[in-house]
Amino acid sequence: MASIVRPTMLRQSCLKAVSKQTFSTKPTSMFPAINKPAASVLSKQVARNTFAKGALPGSMRVAAFHASGRRPILPALPPNDAAKVPTPHPSHGSYHWTFERAISVGLVPLTIAPFAAGSLNPLTDALLCATILIHSHIGFEALIVDYIPTKRLPKTRKTFEWGLKLATVVVGVGLYEFETNDVGLTEGIKRIWTA
Amino acid sequence: MAALRTTSRLFAAARPAFKSQIRTRTMATITSNGTATAPAVPPTQTTTVKEPAADADSKIKTFHIYRWNPDEPSTKPRMQSYTLDLNKTGPMMLDALIRIKNEVDPTLTFRRSCREGICGSCAMNIDGVNTLACLCRIPTDTKAESKIYPLPHTYVVKDIVPDLTQFYKQYKSIKPYLQKNTPAPDGKEYRQSKEERKKLDGLYECILCACCSTSCPSYWWNSEEYLGPAVLMQSYRWLADSRDEHKEERKAQLDNSMSLYRCHTILNCSRTCPKGLNPGYAIAEIKKAMAL
Repeated sequence: MASIVRPTMLRQSCLKAVSKQTFSTKPTSMFPAINKPAASVLSKQVARNTFAKGALPGSMRVAAFHASGRRPILPALPPNDAAKVPTPHPSHGSYHWTFERAISVGLVPLTIAPFAAGSLNPLTDALLCATILIHSHIGFEALIVDYIPTKRLPKTRKTFEWGLKLATVVVGVGLYEFETNDVGLTEGIKRIWTA
Repeated sequence: MAALRTTSRLFAAARPAFKSQIRTRTMATITSNGTATAPAVPPTQTTTVKEPAADADSKIKTFHIYRWNPDEPSTKPRMQSYTLDLNKTGPMMLDALIRIKNEVDPTLTFRRSCREGICGSCAMNIDGVNTLACLCRIPTDTKAESKIYPLPHTYVVKDIVPDLTQFYKQYKSIKPYLQKNTPAPDGKEYRQSKEERKKLDGLYECILCACCSTSCPSYWWNSEEYLGPAVLMQSYRWLADSRDEHKEERKAQLDNSMSLYRCHTILNCSRTCPKGLNPGYAIAEIKKAMAL
């Protein structure tokens, strides 16, 4: 209601309407108070004071309501659109999470078993190495995803991602060398531990 | 209401026309000999009005409040200190804020509405904890000074009013309403058993005050993509609803590296929730439901 009425309060919009001569002089039933201005003393007086010197007849006053466009005082705010929903990537989402948890849980017996049992099985040793490698890779990847957003630092993100891949490969090769040419991870820890 | 405003505006426009006709009252005049027109009673015959003396048992507490005015964008945010007598103030932080605004500094800006923890408007960081000012008691220890900040890691609109646009957009993106494909069996309403309804307890009470989301470090770093605890808990509220039939779509929506899995179970959300809800548990339930 207010936004309909307000433009008519501006003298400019009123004059514009007059100059265009596009108004309708036919009062409608939408504003009954204006259709019969004599109904109240207030509206009569108001009309006289606003349009001083009787420059505009009553019909034009009615016309202003219809001819001048609706002009809101402030432009409408953009609606709150829903945030963009990313395309599903289970390999980065649920599968990734399940795999990550399985690795973490698997690490517990793998770490304890060789020391508790006292046996030096090359198979469990290799399994432990591989699991640690994957576990730490996932952990560092989470760090990068958390702290280096693609949106703000796309190049840094790429650099770090490739750096991590390289580091994982280097560590993997190193562990392989340690396993094949040296005493192996479990035995290595055992020696350091007792020393 | 609009009609009233219209008439008042017309009167305002009409005023100059009246001015020329009606004689206006002038200010009080001073005569040439320096005395007012009416002789005043000399101060020796009147009593002195003094500033109200501070009570001996008054409990003066200092509040430091974050202030920033968008009208002066070049000025840095500052901490403004206010002192209040706790004997004359209500028990809650919101009472203190309202009293400061009413009696000390009317430019202080904050959101508040229900003053009873139902609307979630007055969420702010009080003494380092995100909480609702209306549910947070003022510590009665007057030596400890209280610090009030807006919700952390939000854009500030003014003083302690944060911009929660992104939060609401994310809430909208999870489609927080019942989605059905089949009509109700009796054509009237979708029924639930008591057990099914019980699953929604602790979820539907969330008032979306954004205390938990803005306390989550993961949400601080990745609020563009990570949904945050409050929105995820609402997502679980619809996943747990026995009547909802779009569960797979809802799950698929979360099945990426950012939306859900940036939660690292820090549990700041459950610790800070002023309504005592447990968003961390809800997120864990989503993760379990989405696992193999």
